[in-house]
Amino acid sequence: MTPAKIENVFLEVITNQQGIIKNILAGKFAIEEFVVDTSIFETCPFLFGTLELLPEKESFLMEGMVITSKNKEYNTDVELFKDGEEITILLHNRTSVYKVITELNQNRNDLFFMKREISEKNKELAILRKASDKANEEKSRFLAIMSHEVRNPLNTILGYTNMIAEENLSDKVREYVSYLAFSGKNLKVIVDDILDLSRIEAGKLELALEEINVNKIVQSNFINFKNQHTNDFVALEISTSTKIPATLIGDGVRVNQILANLMNNALKFTKEGKVSVQTEIISENEKSAEIRFKITDTGRGMTDEQTAKIFEEYRQTELDDNRVFGGAGLGLSIVKRLVGAMNGSITVASKLNVGTTFYVEIPFKKVLNTVKKPITEVEKSTKKSLQGKRILLADDDLLNQKITSHILNKEEVIITVAKNGLEALEILNVQDFDLAILDINMPEITGDTLIQQKATFKKNNQIPFLALTGNATQEHKENYLKIGFTDVIFKPYKFDELIGKIEGCL
Amino acid sequence: MIAKKVLLVGNFGVGKTSLIRQFVLNEFSEDYISTIGVRVSTKIVSLNGEQIKLLIWDVAGTKDDEKVPKAYFLGASAAMYVFDLNREETYLNLKNQLEVVKQLSGLKEILVVGNKKDLLTANEIDQVKKIIEIPVDLITSAKENENVEDAFTILAKQSLK
Repeated sequence: MTPAKIENVFLEVITNQQGIIKNILAGKFAIEEFVVDTSIFETCPFLFGTLELLPEKESFLMEGMVITSKNKEYNTDVELFKDGEEITILLHNRTSVYKVITELNQNRNDLFFMKREISEKNKELAILRKASDKANEEKSRFLAIMSHEVRNPLNTILGYTNMIAEENLSDKVREYVSYLAFSGKNLKVIVDDILDLSRIEAGKLELALEEINVNKIVQSNFINFKNQHTNDFVALEISTSTKIPATLIGDGVRVNQILANLMNNALKFTKEGKVSVQTEIISENEKSAEIRFKITDTGRGMTDEQTAKIFEEYRQTELDDNRVFGGAGLGLSIVKRLVGAMNGSITVASKLNVGTTFYVEIPFKKVLNTVKKPITEVEKSTKKSLQGKRILLADDDLLNQKITSHILNKEEVIITVAKNGLEALEILNVQDFDLAILDINMPEITGDTLIQQKATFKKNNQIPFLALTGNATQEHKENYLKIGFTDVIFKPYKFDELIGKIEGCL
Repeated sequence: MIAKKVLLVGNFGVGKTSLIRQFVLNEFSEDYISTIGVRVSTKIVSLNGEQIKLLIWDVAGTKDDEKVPKAYFLGASAAMYVFDLNREETYLNLKNQLEVVKQLSGLKEILVVGNKKDLLTANEIDQVKKIIEIPVDLITSAKENENVEDAFTILAKQSLK
């Protein structure tokens, strides 16, 4: 660190042999401490006894002399030059002057400066770390808010999509609605993934173990892309294998997510030619089958350098036009981690202006007799009847309120709706219920505040309470359970999920 | 009033600054802050009815192979060499160190003070004295303010010689 102006770090004064300052020649350092016609010994007591003994016309140097004045301390080098009656004193303030380590001559003062420099750097690092921590906290907060904000409308979209699907529809409209549902479901997964990326990094990703049909997943994914596909210059091809067992054990949503990500990338970067998805079995034994998914495009391809970095976070291929393609750049990073979590592997082969092929190889377990059905599905046969159950639903979001009411009405539940926390509290104090569903973010009184007042309710303080929230993290869930909720429903939820949760509480 | 420049020298951490603080300010702190460069403290002492302004140079402690810069001794009337009774390395080479200080300062006499008396028993102090080949003028404790005043009084007397 070098001071900006040299005059700020030195002072040149002239005294007589008695130490009276006769003139201040130059410099600005400690200017208030040195006044003409006053004794220099007040500020520089180390000069007492020294000035009168100075050799004539010979530079005399004293290093590391400390000036303490007005609670401020300066570490100075002092050069004295006696010429007759006059003594020229050059004071060099070293307090803010740092030396690089190679220039240190190992005396105590130099070590002092090194220590000071390290201390300054540590302070800078501490400030930077604080800023970084704050930015990280902001990111987490942003993700949490975004997650919540996205989940509410997503719940509405998925809810109404389900409700539409229950109506009498033409085959064509039913097909469209199924794609809508499919995309909505994928969007939900993406929202979950963005929020949970840190968990994936920490190896805390939990995969579902359910019966899946790999070929169907590939086909469904392919159809979805084909229906959205508008570029006539790019052909879409699919190839599946009948050798792949019809039922395997895996996480269908995540497999679909992997394929969707890769297909999406392939289409994004291909202007003409074709994009194909191939599925084949590469090894099989009694217990497992390893499947290879091969996604090939004739797009712009990548250089070796770009290929090497392709799975890094927030990294699209760093070509000039990357902004054109948008995206968060998280897709391939998530794909790699998902594949890794499935004990699989992903590789890429690419040639600039020729195309790219991604190879994903995942070992799936085969179905044994003891295998469970998909864990999110609720068996109809085990369902309890909710008919006649009295349920309070408190939710300020009218659209979500209607969806939840629709689901509950289908179960012939006697439903009472409150549009905010205060109204819910008033109702809970006068009416009897079998269960209450409280949205967390409600005006007047939030769901979490309300549950903490449960003991003071005049009625219903023994019934189960379900939290309804877009705050879909495990931490939030644990907190809600801790403060008194019986269970938590994350938005967006499937119809069966909601009913399953209610049944589980009654 | 006459003023005299006196110096305290010795290895780092032996308690030079603590002795000065105790003498000038009647203060002691357990915290060790290594002295950087030179600080000058002032105290007026009375000696045989005469007042002397002592300008006490607290010179940054040295390591074995370091010398106090010669320029520091310009105009010095007396010097105190302080060692730590509890740290062997601060007194094992005492005889040679004193010779060096004498050469640099031009002073014929250097006051030798063993500090941190409070950390040793009387027997241990005797053992240290036996190891040191030259006589120790005073055994002090800056912490417990033992013989501190005496040490500076002797120093002041030496400065008048």
